[in-house]
Amino acid sequence: MSGPQAAGDAPLVQGQYVFGLLVRLCVNTAGGVGILFVILYLALSRSLPGDYAGIYHALRNLSPFLRPILAVSVLVYALLACGSTAALCIYVLHKVAGPLYRMERVLDQYRSGVPTRTVSFRHDDQIQPLAHAFNQWIGTLHRDRHRWLATMKDAERHCLQDEATCRSEMEAALRKIAEDMARYH
Amino acid sequence: MRKSALQPPRPSVRYVNPRFQGPAVLAFTAIITIGGVIFWKLVDSEFQWVFPHAAIRGHYTFDSAYDIVRNLLSWHLAGLFFGVFLTGSILVLLLIAATRYGIGKAVDSLRMSANGDLSTPTGTGPIGELDRFGKKIDAARSDTLTSLQKIRSEAAALATGGMSPEEFRLRWDELKHRIRTIAP
Repeated sequence: MSGPQAAGDAPLVQGQYVFGLLVRLCVNTAGGVGILFVILYLALSRSLPGDYAGIYHALRNLSPFLRPILAVSVLVYALLACGSTAALCIYVLHKVAGPLYRMERVLDQYRSGVPTRTVSFRHDDQIQPLAHAFNQWIGTLHRDRHRWLATMKDAERHCLQDEATCRSEMEAALRKIAEDMARYH
Repeated sequence: MRKSALQPPRPSVRYVNPRFQGPAVLAFTAIITIGGVIFWKLVDSEFQWVFPHAAIRGHYTFDSAYDIVRNLLSWHLAGLFFGVFLTGSILVLLLIAATRYGIGKAVDSLRMSANGDLSTPTGTGPIGELDRFGKKIDAARSDTLTSLQKIRSEAAALATGGMSPEEFRLRWDELKHRIRTIAP
């Protein structure tokens, strides 16, 4: 299936997109934890002194020495992981945020009376059915408007005949339009 | 002439919507920070007794401090990874579910509008940006309904007659103009 009908029936958020997001999150988290591991490994893997007394004293004094190293390594992890996850969020979520922003602009333009054209999102954007539903609504309004104007134009043609026929045809057209508009509530 | 010369490449537009992406970024940042703090507190408290304990035990069969805390560190790093990843995954799924719900309601509302229902509220849900979006759709529908109702009442009033031909013609033309402004 392709075309507008397919866009209308497409899922709002595709499973592949969600899976991709989870995989990227997994890689991102693993990268952050990996960096934390490397920092701690480098800090802890230095050889201890060779003699018994040296090792004893080194181990006794290691805890206070490791405290700032641990704090800094966790801080580095947090900064790197937060930075990369923020970038990931902005990059991946723009496929939802972008169309939403676009639709907001279209709705603002519609309300301000600017001529409304059909909306289409980028190929790999999510929430495609939103554009389809909006186009469907605007399309219906356009068709109705054309029909009402055509009805009025048809009635005006009778003005080439006598005045009474013209007026009665116009009134009939207006009644038809009012009835037709009654479906909007 | 090459195709690219005729048709310049369309610039890649990457929209950023801070109201939508911002809270998600903050939530992920909070998860990572909380995970980091928990890891720091746990590992630090374990380090405070593991090394003195190893010093007192006396059998120094290790080359470095890493050999002493290898298992401890592995478990805590694995805990940090799974904790952050699983919580982040839950957040992703909640975000997607909220988006599906909110946008789904917006799509239903627009489809109902195409069938003539312009008054039932969209009800996109509690998430700020989606709620705002739903209100924008409702405002557009409400404007359209108001406009259509005015046109309808004017058409009905004109159809009843009882006015001079000049006035009728004037209001007829005005009505045509008003109809042209529907979804321009």
